[in-house]
Parts: sequence; structure tokens; C-alpha cells
Amino acid sequence: MARASFEPIVGRYIHAPVLGEDCRIYFEEAGQGIPLVCLHTAGADSRQFRHLLCDEAVTRHYRVIAFDLPWHGKSYPPAGWEKTEYRLTTQCYVETVRAFCAALDLVRPVVMGCSIGGRIVLQLAHAHGAEFRALIGLEAADHQQPWYDTAWLHRGDVHGGEVCAALVSGLIAPQSPTQYRHETLWQYMQGGPGVFKGDLYFYRVDADLRGKLDGIDTARCPLYLLTGEYDFSCTPEDTVRTAGAIAGARVTVMKELGHFPMSENPAQFRRYILPVLDEIRQKRD
Amino acid sequence: MTATADLAGLQERDLAARLLDAIPRRVNGDAHLVWRGRTLKARCLVQIGATQFLLDIDGGRIRECRAGLPLLCSWDFAIRGSAQGWASLWQDPPPPGWHDLFALSKRGEMSFEGNLLPFMSHLQYFKDVLTLPRKAGA
Repeated sequence: MARASFEPIVGRYIHAPVLGEDCRIYFEEAGQGIPLVCLHTAGADSRQFRHLLCDEAVTRHYRVIAFDLPWHGKSYPPAGWEKTEYRLTTQCYVETVRAFCAALDLVRPVVMGCSIGGRIVLQLAHAHGAEFRALIGLEAADHQQPWYDTAWLHRGDVHGGEVCAALVSGLIAPQSPTQYRHETLWQYMQGGPGVFKGDLYFYRVDADLRGKLDGIDTARCPLYLLTGEYDFSCTPEDTVRTAGAIAGARVTVMKELGHFPMSENPAQFRRYILPVLDEIRQKRD
Repeated sequence: MTATADLAGLQERDLAARLLDAIPRRVNGDAHLVWRGRTLKARCLVQIGATQFLLDIDGGRIRECRAGLPLLCSWDFAIRGSAQGWASLWQDPPPPGWHDLFALSKRGEMSFEGNLLPFMSHLQYFKDVLTLPRKAGA
């Protein structure tokens, strides 16, 4: 019989102003050392990083911090949300990340984001690289081809949670453990109505970064891009193409992983992410 | 007929046999899967290469699964895929980029047509049903 035990993760709320609005943001953290801020995928929340937060090989050297974007997980939408259609924009996303880091007084943190989090990492590298010690994009590309109509994600006659989860289920590698596959899907089943669709407005409409990633200084802020071979949304080819336009960007294609590496198969993911984190740590800041 | 066409014909016949064997038996033998489709009633055309099948689903159970369409048969939606697409999807494990219905549609190896509401409102059910031939046996 399993014994009761605490995990090292601690959760808190912080208030931070984002574009003039007070946002009450939920975050979880564990470990100490270099701040490592983790950004979840569209339509999900910070639970995706629960394994990384409990990995002593990481938390020995890093203060791992994962937060829920407003509208996601335990972070409410800003007041008045009921009269708006949620649409994430590049500006709002960038300012949310920067406001969260400032609110916690983080000095040159490492930021690691997945999917939309990977896309915004590219924008951070382009526009604010000096603020970060290193940037890591998981399933990141400057653009990718759409593969379904997002109108299906939010309509009265289809259960939003079920259709969101069913659509992204194919992005999980077939080798990923059943438990973690279904935990990952549960996150999608729990998203608020229209939130995944609103995140994809950023992904598909507002943040087409093709030809807009000039000036990235990877000597000052190293950029690592890691993509799972089973990700057919952001394909390895999309990531390689993106990196081809950024001098010094490092690309890894991860075997037997899909679009949610940290969440769908943590044991496989750590084989790829630990060497990256070691390298970042060993570089003099 | 060329050797290549012969091979393609053999592959389609093999895929058809796998579909006809696995889907009705394994759906109707899985009480939880049937439960997940309890509000579903749909006639679905499934196509492997040039071979068409009718999948008639009522309350999550497969009422009929047959090759070929009856005369003047109507259906709600169609899922049409190349033989290579289905063969790859049913490999265990399937190769990257060939491992999901939407991975196949993105690469042009599969299409979804017709009234997609019953399909999209029971999407995981259909994904699970249509990958049953991946694993042989039970």
C-alpha cells in the first residue's frame, strides 16, 4: 500500500499588473538556484510541469516556477471577462511573462515554454533577449500549418473539453505512458470555454513570426529548441526551419515524444532537457 | 495488372479484413467504449483506398460493419484514407506523422467529409474505434 507523502511543490498566488489590469496569477515552485520559468501549452495549465518540479536533478540547481496564464488553471480571467471573447495576443503574452518575472523579482531567469509557450520564447528572444539568461522553446516554431478549424473548439453543440482533448490526443507519442497521456488530456478537458480557441488566436493569427526574428543574440542569451518527433502540429521540420534563420540556435529532435514532452513522458523528456539545463548552468552568466 | 497494382490490391484486402474483424468484435465487446458512445447514432462511410465500408453505430454499438455500400445508401459523414495511410496508422507503433487521423489529413492521406457534427462531438470515440485494428487479437 502506498504511503502518504508530500511533494516538494508549493503553490501560491501573486497579483501582477498586465497591460493595466490586475491579474491574480497562480504559480507553483520548487527548488533553488537559477530561476527557470515554465510556460504551459495552449488551453492547459502549469500542471504540465509537475514532474520537472519534482525532479531533484533539476531542483538542486534551479528554482523551477510554473504559472497559469490568466484564464487558465487556477488563474482567473481579469474582472469583466464575462463581456469579452478571450483572444491571447503577442503583446499580452509577452507582457504577462515579463510582469510575472518582475513581480517575483527574478533576475535574468531562464524561460522554457511549450507550444504557444515555445512561440513566445522566440518573440522574447527577438525583443527582450537581454532580460533572460537562456531561452528554451519546446515544440517551437515561427509558424506552422493549421490542421483543423478552431471553430469546433467552442460551440454550443459540442462539449469543448472533450473535443479539445480529442483533437490534441493525436499529438501525444504512442509510446507515452497511459497515465501521463490521460493526465495531459484531462488538462484540456478542464479548460474554460473558448480558452484553447483564444490561445490559438495568438498561435495562428497574431504571432506569425516568419521573417520577424532578426537580431536574436544567442551569444548573450542562448536559445535551445527541442521538438518531439511525433508532433505533427509543430513538426521537427518547422523547428529546424525556424532555427535555420537564427544564428546559434540549437535544435534537438526528441525521439518517442510528441507535443507535450514534459507532461506526456517525463522520463523520456528528462533525457533531453537535463543536458540542456546542465549546459546553461555551466555557462558563466 | 502490374505487380505494383497487385501488391496494392493485396494490401487493401488485408486492411479490409483487419477492419472487418477488429471493429465490430472489439467495440461491441468493450462495455466502456460502448458507454462512451451511448448518445451517438451515426452512419459512417470509411474508405480504405478504393474500398468502401459502412459503419452503422447506434448507442455506441456497431450495428453493422460491411464492405460495400447498399444501393441508395445514405450516410452522415465519410472518412477516406489511402491504403498507405491506414496501413501506417495501424502499425504498432505507428511511424511519426502517420499516427493519428489528423496527422494523416494534414499530410493529405485522409479526408473528412459530410456532416461532421457526430464525428467531432464523439471524436475520441471514433479515433479509438478506428485504431482498433492496430493491435491484433483481444
